[in-house]
Parts: sequence; C-alpha cells; structure tokens
Amino acid sequence: MNGGLEGVRLRGLHKRYGATVALAGLDLDIRPGEVLGIAGPNGAGKSTLVRIIAGEERPDDGELLFNGHPWRPAADWRRVAVVHQEPQLFPNLTVAENILVGREGATNGWPKLGSADAKVMKAFGIDRFADTPLADCTLATQQRAEIARAVARDAQVFLFDEPNSALTDEESDELFREMHKLAAGGRIVLLVTHRLGDLFEHASRVAVIRDGQVRAILEGDALTEDGIAEQLVVGRDGETNVKTCAGIDRGGGSLVSVNDWSHAAAFHDIALDAKPGEIVALVGVEGSGARELLRSFAGLESCSGAIKIAGEKGDRAQRLSAYVPATRMLSLYSNFSVAENLLVRLGSPEIAGVGMALKKKRMRQLANEATRRFLIRAHSVSQGIRSLSGGNQQKVAIAQALNCAPRLLLLEEPTRGVDIHSKREIYRLLRDYVGADNTVIMFCTEVLEVYEAADRAHVVVDGGLSRQIVVGDYPHVESLATEISRMERHARDDGGARRQL
Amino acid sequence: MTSADSRDPAPVETSRPSLSSTGQATFDLGLRMGGLVLAIVLVALLMFLLKPKSFNIDVGISVLRAMSSVAIMSLGLTLVIVVGEIDLSFGAMYGLGANSLAVMWILLGIPIYAALPLAIGIGALVGLFNGALVTWLRIPSFIVTLGTYNLLYGVSLWITKTSTFNPVYPPPGSEIPTAQLDFFTGLTASFGAHPISFEVVWMLGLALAIGFLLHRTLFGFRLMAIGGNPVAAQLARLPVTRYKILAFVICSMLAAAAGILDFSFIQTTQPNIGLSFTFPVFAAVIIGGASLSGGKGTVIGAMSGALLLAELQQGLALLSPGPHVQQLFLGFVTIGAVALDLALTNIRKRRAA
Repeated sequence: MNGGLEGVRLRGLHKRYGATVALAGLDLDIRPGEVLGIAGPNGAGKSTLVRIIAGEERPDDGELLFNGHPWRPAADWRRVAVVHQEPQLFPNLTVAENILVGREGATNGWPKLGSADAKVMKAFGIDRFADTPLADCTLATQQRAEIARAVARDAQVFLFDEPNSALTDEESDELFREMHKLAAGGRIVLLVTHRLGDLFEHASRVAVIRDGQVRAILEGDALTEDGIAEQLVVGRDGETNVKTCAGIDRGGGSLVSVNDWSHAAAFHDIALDAKPGEIVALVGVEGSGARELLRSFAGLESCSGAIKIAGEKGDRAQRLSAYVPATRMLSLYSNFSVAENLLVRLGSPEIAGVGMALKKKRMRQLANEATRRFLIRAHSVSQGIRSLSGGNQQKVAIAQALNCAPRLLLLEEPTRGVDIHSKREIYRLLRDYVGADNTVIMFCTEVLEVYEAADRAHVVVDGGLSRQIVVGDYPHVESLATEISRMERHARDDGGARRQL
Repeated sequence: MTSADSRDPAPVETSRPSLSSTGQATFDLGLRMGGLVLAIVLVALLMFLLKPKSFNIDVGISVLRAMSSVAIMSLGLTLVIVVGEIDLSFGAMYGLGANSLAVMWILLGIPIYAALPLAIGIGALVGLFNGALVTWLRIPSFIVTLGTYNLLYGVSLWITKTSTFNPVYPPPGSEIPTAQLDFFTGLTASFGAHPISFEVVWMLGLALAIGFLLHRTLFGFRLMAIGGNPVAAQLARLPVTRYKILAFVICSMLAAAAGILDFSFIQTTQPNIGLSFTFPVFAAVIIGGASLSGGKGTVIGAMSGALLLAELQQGLALLSPGPHVQQLFLGFVTIGAVALDLALTNIRKRRAA
C-alpha cells in the first residue's frame, strides 16, 4: 500500500531509569491487521515498551510514528487501549457506565448509553451485564468491558499485556477470538506474554526483546515455541554459572519433603523432595500455581497434606523456612535504614535483652557483619534503604531472611531487575548458604536463572508438578529452554486431553 | 579486607552512630525538631515583646501544666499512628476514665485505691476492643474508633446520669474519707517555690517511658516495621496482630490516665470532658512529625507539638486578641508544618535525582 506508512513505527527508543538502561535504541514496526507478539526475559525492556506505547511513560530519545505522523501516546491516549491481567476500570460503576466514563458528552446529567455504545456492548456479549456493577462480574467479563470501552472510543492500538494469566482455558480462548477480530478489523494489536504457546498460536510475528533492543523477529516457519525459547536465552555473555557441587548426591535423607500437598485453587497432589545442599527451581508462568506452591512452604497459603522440614512437621516445619517475595517492596521497609532492614526479622535474644530493650551495639555489629557477609555495598549501615542500588537492595532482602537462620530459603525470582554483577554475587551467596547443609527452593519464570542457579528444576503447569529436570544434564541454556518449553507443552496437552474425556 | 578505614564500601563507625534512624531521617528529624523548637522560642519571644509584664516563670509553669494531658494522650496516639492505624476514641476515653472513676469512687463508695486501677483497666479493655475489631474483623480503625468515640461518650452520659462530680462536695449520702481525698488530690499536688503541679512530673515520666518503649525496645522497633510495611511484616511472620492491639491498649490506658490526672487537678468532672481534645492531640502528633501512613513518629516530636499548642493557647489567652486567633493559629501551624515537610522532601528528592 503506501510503503510502510501504515501502522505504528518506533525508531531508536531510549529509556533509562537511573543507572539502569531499559531501552537501548529499540526499533519496531507494528502493522495494522496483524497480531504482533512480544517476548523477552524479565528486565529486557518489555514492560517499558508497553508503558511507552500506552502513554504512561515518555522515552528519553527516539521517535514514534503513527501512520507516518509523529505521535505522542500520552496526549493521544484515546487511540491506545491496554488490556491488563487486572482491568484498569471502575469497579463501583456498572458495566455500561464503565464504557461511558470519559466520553459522557455535553450532558450535565447522569450520562446515558447511546445506541452506538449499546451495539459495541452487544458485539462483545456484555450487553446483558450492562447494569451489573463491574465488581460483581467475572474477570473475563471485566476484560471484555475494557476492550469494549476502547472500541467504543474508537481506539486503534490494542496492547494485550499478559491478558490471560488469570483466566480459565475457555475464557482465554474467547479473549483471543476477540483479539483476532480486532486485528481482522484493521486495528493494531500487540500481545505481550510469557506463555510461549500463546505467542506461537496467536501471533503472526513475534519480536524477541533482550537488553532493550529487538534481537529477533520470528515469523512463518521460524515461529515455533522452541524457536522463541531459544531466542530468549541466546547471546548471553558472562553466564554466571557458579555450580560447584551441582547435583552431587551426598547420600543422606532429604531436608524437605512434601506429600499430597494440595491447595484449594492453585495446585494439587504435589510431592516434592529436596536434599541439603540443593537449589531447586520451580518453573512456571504467572497463574500456573508455582508462586502459590512456593509460598505454601512458608505457611503463607492454607494447604492440606504433609510437609516435613529438617525432621519437623507442619507449623513447626514451616517456621524453619524463610520466604523472600519477588518485589522488594514486599520485603523492605522504606522507613528503615539498611541495618534495621537487615535485622527486622530478628527478636529476642538476638537483638533485644531484658525488658525487650534493644541491644544497639549488638545490632550495629550484626548489621556490619551482614553487610560484609552478604557483600552489600553501602556507605554506612545507617543509610536509608532506598539509597541503595536495586541489586544491593535485593541482597538486603535475602540477607534479612537468612539472618533468622532458616533451613529452607524460599525465593521468588531472586534476581529480577538486578544487574549482572549483583546477580553473580547473589548466586554465590545462595551457593554458600546451601553449602552449609541448607536448601533453597526458588520460583523462576526465566530459564536463564534456572540454568545459572539451580541444580534441579520442576515445571509447574496448571497446578501440577512435572518430573524433575537435572540442570547439569544440559550443555547449554538453549537446550534447557527447549526442554522446559517441551515439558510445559506436554503437560498442557495432557491436561487438555484429560479435560476432554 | 584488611582494615576498615582503607576502603569506602565497608561500613565504618561514624562519629555519631545512629541506628534508630537513617542518616537522612536523622537530618529530617533534626530539621523538623529544629523548626519546632524555633517556633516555640519565637512564640515565647513574641509574647514577651507584646506583654513583658505578665511574662514570668509562673506562666511558663502553667503552660507545662496545661499541656500535660494533651501530651500524655499524644504519646499513646503516636504509638497507634506509628503502627499505621488511627484512634479517634481517646478523647472520649479521657472522659470515661475520669467519669468512671468518679462514679465508682464517689457514687458507689469503692475506695480510690481500687477504683483508680479499675478505671485504668477500663481503658485497657477499650483498647483491646478497638484493637480486636481492627485486627480480627479487619474493620478500618477510623471507623472502629469513630464508633467507640460515640459508645464511650454514651457510657459516660449513662453512668453519670449526666451529672457533675466533685469529691470535695460529694452528693448527699456519699462520704469521702479524708485520707482518700488527700491521696487523690496528691496525685497532682503542687510543690516547690514556684508551685508546679505533680501532673507535669507524670507527663515527663510517661514521656520517658513511652520514649524508651518506642525508640529503644524491640516492641518499638517492630511497631515501626509494621507501620512502615504491614505486608512485609506479615510475610516475615512478625506478630502484627498482637502489636497492633497492644498499641491501641496503651493508647486507651494513657487517655484514661490523662482524664484521671486532670480530674485530680481540676477536681470536677463532667460527662463531656475530653471530647474537644481529639483534634488538638492529633495536631500535636502531626506537628511533631508523625506520618499518618505509618512507620514514622517520635515521642520528642509529639511532646514538642503539645508544648507549642499549649504555649499558643496560654499566650493568646493572656493577650486576649479574641478566640478566633487561637483557632487560626492552630490551623496554620498544622498545615504549615506538614507542607514544609513535604516541600523539603521534594527538594531533596530532586537534588538526589
């Protein structure tokens, strides 16, 4: 047609946050009528790209063109719609009112639904919920309302950002049908997801982002799940494999053993054993149940079944574990200094003596020891936690948990958003920790992290655990990625087959 | 690592070791406290210039007496605010403390030595009630304590049958033994060449105790942690529920104590006393630098806030420019203190970025 002028064209996008480079000259063309998939490991710049197209963030440098004209999404927000895992709507209003908000027209009264809007709602099958408060609708209906709201205001760019991680299979099938309808109507559609299967099935092209740039665009025959999996992990320099005693069976019993472990919604009938000295990875996408499984070992989810840690059972066992959430926001205290953050999980007698009086000298000493032991770079332990770099904050979060001497450390994506240097140090700390006859179980979404840090891995799909993968058996990260994506696919197919019976 | 002084990443002992607050927060606190002290001195100076004759040590002492009940309640409220909650009921608890004591002692004839701990005990029960509803039923503390405020005031009206009590003039049929009356008035008796009420000593003693509790014990440390990041505290298995309840219990007990001390000093009690203290106490705590979002607050700040308020109140009463001036002042000071705080924080952030 008119020589690539149609659609969205991104050229040389740059964005930095402090010392972190999120986008380093990203170029991308998005054509109307196609579904363009976006894949990339955590911290690759995916979410920054989404935020820039959604107008929530402005690039430091580079240009955005829409049908050949310079474009500023922040000012032109009506043109863009983002469909999140959690709809960004007004739960207190009805579905119809949600469609209307922001386009009430010139009325001073309570706005009324026009016939065009009614038609859009009918097209998306939500007309019968028109007068239902949004909060009472299912997540799938809420997402439809979000899409309908965007269609009603004639949005042209649709960003699906991990849209189906909390949906059932039928619901996500329907969601994707709507997505394809939008694309067929000549709109621009982006699909950002960790689920390689969805990218393979629904995207016409997939752009793989690494280190803030588009590193590969897969289409046609090249577009396979394994192909994407390999692209996600290739070209990493300075891989930080610190395994010294990987997978060595030292004999002896297991430190952690879980049997018939079930949760009301997230997972069922899990059996898992882990030995002292081992780092075990649970690999799974958002919504697979892997995160809940990890948290359940610390007693943070109510579960049935048997859990045993270092000879203790039930609650007493869970007390021997310490859990570090993925976001540092959930483990660090911004009103506290580095020292206070390091020591906050301790109690009497470690940091308090008679009458609960704090042992200030002892605290300072412990904090200084911990900064040395955990390689935390701070000018002083009394400096504010927020003045540390992300990597050092992460080390504080892990050190905080390790300070109460657990036998089992539970980590969620321990090196998410962390620079390569800190990452290496964190892996070394974990190795030292398990070396003292302890165990680490971590939840990972990145194959690279599994490859670099873990001895064994299990893939979690739909709340079930795969057979174990011994990481040491794979010569390079690509082969591990292929294997993991294969196991995810098999587990899903089995699950699908079971459901159909 | 050979020696601590050769490398900069190694945390070295600073000349003024401060663990309880970060370097920056210490600076902030210094700024806040410096500002407060400056305001207190300026107001005093202004009073002196305007009315040098009536400015003497006795006025200063009366300021200290006047601030004491607000100060005692602000100590308790600081704990509740630090842990990230709100208490609106302490003013009514102040009233119930004094009134329940009056009813038990004067009307029912329970000896003061038993009635006094019982009245404080009622405070503990009220705190337990507030804390339990907030933590177990997860009702927002604003709503719970708004309800308790009305409940407590209702109980005060009920048990006193809306009447006033004075132990020196008990109602017909009641008799107050002199020894008990002396004990009761002795709680806040004045002493010294420039008569100073013992209530001031209670205030300072309680401030020291709560200051120690908040800034020097594991209890205070964890209160700060829970207020700073309640989710993290829960995930780290800190005793969030217990500590929140304890903060409410201490707050209500201190309010009951403040009511009883004022009763002892003024010697009369009415059903509606204390209610009007609600907002001044909040003002004192907030002027003192506590953050309503939790995790931040100091005893010295709350005390200084209470001092500034009492000073304004007494000084303006002396100058008698009209009742509006005091209210206008209180409004300006409360908003101004927080606005100044935010402005300084923003400037610093911009400089850091």
